[in-house]
Amino acid sequence: MKKLFSSRIVWIVAVLAVVVTVFTFSTRKQTVSFSADVKPILNKKCISCHGGVKKQGGFSLLFREEALGKTESGQPAIIPGDPDKSEMIKRLTVHDPEERMPYKEAPLSDEEIDILRRWVKQGAQWGEHWAYVPVKPVTVPKASTFFGLISNNNDWAKNEIDHFIAEKQEELELTHAEEADKKTLFRRVSLDLIGMPAKDEWLQQYLADKTGKGYEALVDSLLSSPHYGERWTSMWLDLARYADTKGYEADQARNIWKYRDWLIKAFNSDKPYNEFLIEQLAGDLLPDPTDAQYIATAFHRNSMTNDEGGTDNEEFRTAAVMDRVNTTWEVLMGTTFSCVQCHSHPYDPFTHDEYYKFLAYFNNSRDEDTQADYPLLRQFKGTDSSKLPELKNWLNHHASKEKADGLYSFLRTWQPAINSLQCDHYINGAQVSSWFAGLRNNGSCRLPDVHLDQKTRLLYRYTSGFDGGVWTIRLDSLTGAVLKKTVLKKTNGWEIAQIDLPVNKGVHDLYFTYSNPQLNGKENTGVLFDWFHFDEAFPGKGEPGYDSAYSAYWQLLRAPAETTPVMVESNSEQHRATHIFERGNWLVKGEEVEPGTPHILNPIPANAPNNRMGLAMWLTDKKNPLTARTMVNRLWEQLFGNGIAETLEDMGTQGISPTHRELLDWLAWTFMNEDGWSIKKTIKRMVLSATYRQASYADKDILEKDPFNRYLTRGPRVRLSAEQVRDQALVISGIMSPKMYGPSVMPYQPKGIWLSPWNGADWKQSDGEDQYRRGVYIYWKRTAPYPSMMTFDATGREVCSSRRIRTNTPLQALVTLNDEAYLEAARHFAVRMQKEGGAKVSDRIRLGYELATYQTISNEGLAVLEKLYETSLDTYKKDTAAACDMLENITADQRTAPEIAAMTVVASSILNMDELITKN
Amino acid sequence: MTQKELYTQRLVKEANETMMSYQTRRHFIKESAMGLGSLALGALLGSSCGSKTTTAAASVFDPANPLASRSPQFAGKAKSVIYLHMAGAPSQLELFDYKPELAKLHGQDCPQSLLEGKRFAFIRGVPKMLGPQAAFKQHGHSGAWISENLPHLTTVADEVCFLKAVTTDQFNHAPAQLMMHTGSARLGRPSIGSWVTYGLGSDNQNLPGFVVLTSGGRFPDAGKSVWGSGFLPSVYQGVQCRSEGDPVLFVKDPKGMNRDLRKASIDAINEMNRIKYQEYKDPEINSRISQYEMAYRMQISVPEVMDISNEPDYIHEMYGTQPGKACFANNVLLARKLVEKGVRFVQLFDWGWDSHGTDANLAIDVGFINKCRSVDRACTALLLDLKQRGLLDETLVVWGGEFGRTPMMENREGKQNPFKGRDHHVEAFTIWMAGGGIKKGFSYGETDEIGYSAVSGKVEPFDIQATILNQLGFDHEQFTYQFQGRFFRLTDVHGRVINEVIG
Repeated sequence: MKKLFSSRIVWIVAVLAVVVTVFTFSTRKQTVSFSADVKPILNKKCISCHGGVKKQGGFSLLFREEALGKTESGQPAIIPGDPDKSEMIKRLTVHDPEERMPYKEAPLSDEEIDILRRWVKQGAQWGEHWAYVPVKPVTVPKASTFFGLISNNNDWAKNEIDHFIAEKQEELELTHAEEADKKTLFRRVSLDLIGMPAKDEWLQQYLADKTGKGYEALVDSLLSSPHYGERWTSMWLDLARYADTKGYEADQARNIWKYRDWLIKAFNSDKPYNEFLIEQLAGDLLPDPTDAQYIATAFHRNSMTNDEGGTDNEEFRTAAVMDRVNTTWEVLMGTTFSCVQCHSHPYDPFTHDEYYKFLAYFNNSRDEDTQADYPLLRQFKGTDSSKLPELKNWLNHHASKEKADGLYSFLRTWQPAINSLQCDHYINGAQVSSWFAGLRNNGSCRLPDVHLDQKTRLLYRYTSGFDGGVWTIRLDSLTGAVLKKTVLKKTNGWEIAQIDLPVNKGVHDLYFTYSNPQLNGKENTGVLFDWFHFDEAFPGKGEPGYDSAYSAYWQLLRAPAETTPVMVESNSEQHRATHIFERGNWLVKGEEVEPGTPHILNPIPANAPNNRMGLAMWLTDKKNPLTARTMVNRLWEQLFGNGIAETLEDMGTQGISPTHRELLDWLAWTFMNEDGWSIKKTIKRMVLSATYRQASYADKDILEKDPFNRYLTRGPRVRLSAEQVRDQALVISGIMSPKMYGPSVMPYQPKGIWLSPWNGADWKQSDGEDQYRRGVYIYWKRTAPYPSMMTFDATGREVCSSRRIRTNTPLQALVTLNDEAYLEAARHFAVRMQKEGGAKVSDRIRLGYELATYQTISNEGLAVLEKLYETSLDTYKKDTAAACDMLENITADQRTAPEIAAMTVVASSILNMDELITKN
Repeated sequence: MTQKELYTQRLVKEANETMMSYQTRRHFIKESAMGLGSLALGALLGSSCGSKTTTAAASVFDPANPLASRSPQFAGKAKSVIYLHMAGAPSQLELFDYKPELAKLHGQDCPQSLLEGKRFAFIRGVPKMLGPQAAFKQHGHSGAWISENLPHLTTVADEVCFLKAVTTDQFNHAPAQLMMHTGSARLGRPSIGSWVTYGLGSDNQNLPGFVVLTSGGRFPDAGKSVWGSGFLPSVYQGVQCRSEGDPVLFVKDPKGMNRDLRKASIDAINEMNRIKYQEYKDPEINSRISQYEMAYRMQISVPEVMDISNEPDYIHEMYGTQPGKACFANNVLLARKLVEKGVRFVQLFDWGWDSHGTDANLAIDVGFINKCRSVDRACTALLLDLKQRGLLDETLVVWGGEFGRTPMMENREGKQNPFKGRDHHVEAFTIWMAGGGIKKGFSYGETDEIGYSAVSGKVEPFDIQATILNQLGFDHEQFTYQFQGRFFRLTDVHGRVINEVIG
């Protein structure tokens, strides 16, 4: 099949050459394409001075209305239909260097000038960039019939994908490769779909298959393996910038692993991608959200929180909100949006105010950079959790829906609450460590803008080391009317307490004073407040079950709970207005904006509410041109090594153009429409294609013609990801723990990696099987991530990262050669070879090679490894102590130690072969 | 330029671009977004935020050999940098910034004018002024003021250039350290060492290009991010050389594996890889072979260079080393050895300079003096040693903290601290530089009479970064990397080369 250069093809080439020539002659009359012809010139030569950032001479080429508008000279620079009168065109050819454009740069080529002339002549129409146009159905190219010559792609193609690939290959006179052998394909598709080698049983079934359907059956098995979800979660964690710590200096622990588990389950159950996104963006706004839907929203709670003293919480809250905006655009819509926070997009049609309109969707979640990472979903344990449904049921029958929901969600999230961070005007008190409001004896502070209508209960969370403190709450000033006076008892740690308030009206500043004559020394802090919650009376007073419902409520409110940071939207009382930040500076606020999406993209769906839920609906609307394209492009990249559009993070005009735009659109259309947003179905289409199944051999000729395999002239051959390298070693050596879910684990890590100041946290090596869990479960500390992962190009996850760069460095070699984690794998692998490989050394090595690669070792290779074994054995026979050292915790008697140690050297070498580190 | 010349120029440029894209290996991401389809460093020489880009190609970046030695944009004076960071921020008022007026105000309430509208990390209410807690004298021909806390450094005063009016806008350690080293107070940007290694590669293929050494028992507050590579490829992050355990993570062979066996196993791995290459013809396999060879050499050269025991006695004496211990002096000596071997950027962090006065170790008149003693001799020795080896001219040495200290005595949360101490201060502090083409025996910038704020020659961290890059041969405005749709540079939209201090 490689012999495509048959005489038939030569014919095609000849004919093509003629056609191209004819085509070139006729282009002069052709309509100029804005996207294909004009925009690249403008981007390259004009827009850096006449675009989103600079508008020299009052002339901008970003939008048509701007470009045709008056410039500083008072005249427009472009007059549609009349290039000779258009200043822009004139300026391209004048001789005066001060006048000629591009200013102080080389002039445009004659061809470029001609394109621009014709474009103005034809009306200076603006076309839209392909990625901003909704996906339309695409016709699959027919197996090419060219003047009756049918290429042999017909036989090759397994599905629609292959026709797109073949069409491009023919156009470029490229060839495709034959199908990879079964064993290679088995390893490839296993690593791709479940991130590690699949079980031997499946291999045997696949090898034995005579029906021709064995490969598809294998793919189905892999897709239904629980390990599938783990593998794709690994990918998503980079996008979600997931970490087990909060970042910044203190970088303290954050309990958010349930989000990771949610992802695994979502991938495994093949949750349709639109639902998958809606739940992550706005699960809290779904009707009666389940715990899982709340936990999904932790997606955007993976932004960093700053716990350091003296920091401005509003600054870091704002930073987190901007991070959510940038992440949403980059990872879900393949658009780099962060530049728009300072000015209109320099190249793409997004305006400065559109950034802040979009930000407004995210600006009203309740999180405020608090130390506790509020809001948290509280999940009760044991008997507490069983009380919950009963209480909920009671509330539903004794209060309005709104009120019952409010009480329930307060129980689950302690929201809405006013964080004590909102306190100000301190006298003899302070915001302690930028976390809590603290008052000393006779200290005071203000809590501004409290809505008191109907509020007859104040719940508050506080701690005090002293009995006898008196807390007085006054209205509107330090000398204002006393709203309430109460005694604050000494607490055992943090406690939630409640006081009744007299009925009041309107919005007030509350002034708190604290006095406690027992406080010795005026410098002692008497009380710390965490948050305040003002509420109406508990419903159903006097009705049956009131007492037990109220007591259950009160108990659950204070019950110990497992917590996960989630999104909760502010109510109208705590609504934040969103302003444009001038030049991106959060301190310089410009005009106020309402939530909205960029004008260039699809309209907001008619039934969408004006909040995050509406945003999620807009983003997953089939008319959104970016969401599906971004995802199928990402899946493609995961399987083939490169995206169809290589810049996953930027499909805009500055991104690299897709090599197969029709295929990208076809995949996106099929994903949304035929496959109902099913990720598994899309992956299946891709891996069933003949394109995917190709062998990855290259030769000089193909390396010259398609060095980076952009045209899929052969199968993908790329280095494994950090997680895959680890997981594979664990599987081959037989020590991988299949345990799923739960808190992150700490496998072996050299000492001294964590040494954060002001933070007692320590890497405590996990016990038992937790040491051998998959990479996806490893504890991720932002300021000191697991070192061997970082060496293999994992990312720090401070911010999202669309793709990892694959480097090739000596430090990687040192990891797989010397990291105790890999050595331990090698030891177990060696024992496995000894045990299962029979009596002969050569057979054992043969087996080891096969277990690792699925391939049969060549005689040449066997000789190399046998020699290594002999050399090692010699060494260890002479020095049995060294053999025991090498084996460390593997029990072996002195007699057999040299042999196992020698085999360990061989096993380690096998795990280090390029063939192992690479997907073939 | 005539039409023909322009035409020729364009042809040459196109040919270069084609050539580069041909040489460039796999899709090393975003650069290609510039339309060059190549990884030429020159292609990265755009400037930030959509302004004009230039394409003065320097040399080609190759992901298969990312540390290959590369030329800078222009010939720089310095070949390497040793950056000595005193984490916690030493007091300029007890070291270099002599303020007799402050002594007169000692014990008085701080005037309101100095407090209004200011925020401090810990000072609350009205603190007292704290006079200099050290005696000062002028030294050398330059007459530089140096306190008695640094008796050794006084002897090399004429080698040093003081920047006395450095300011920052971050008053907490982690963000201020990040600002100093990454040009941003937030996590996620590449550190200056990463930028330099990205730009220059490494002269020594058996050692990492960017080495980090820490002392004082703790990492700097901002953790590894201060030597992280941010959005640059992770290969450019600083490699921490450690005095405990492996000098570089995983560099040591496992117990029971001797060198001969390691050699034999790497030979076998590479032999297996060569067999595979015959089959697959993937150039990546060849580069993996050379990476394994390099790993083997690193295993020898890293412990070798990290072993200071072979240095002669007079060198140990000079630096005040304590072999076998994790201490600053050892690290300084190592830094000299590393630049001698071609390492581009050696970053030292010494923790424990946060003299708040909350305990004796953090007291300006107790623990601080001990810290000074622990670094004085080694810093001085470094300059003398580099000089006697003819390396000082091409090695830029930078010494400083992340911010300064207040002229006021700290009163944490409004109450008197048990010891004399100073709070974090952003408006004025001192950093010194030496070697690498910087003026000798010079002082730039002045503060007011009490050392509270800069009055002339004010510089920011961006200016220091711009100057360091300049000395290495990089224009900080043209040295960029595209990420998330825009061109980033170390100095963001700021920075000015401090030409006044360039010799």
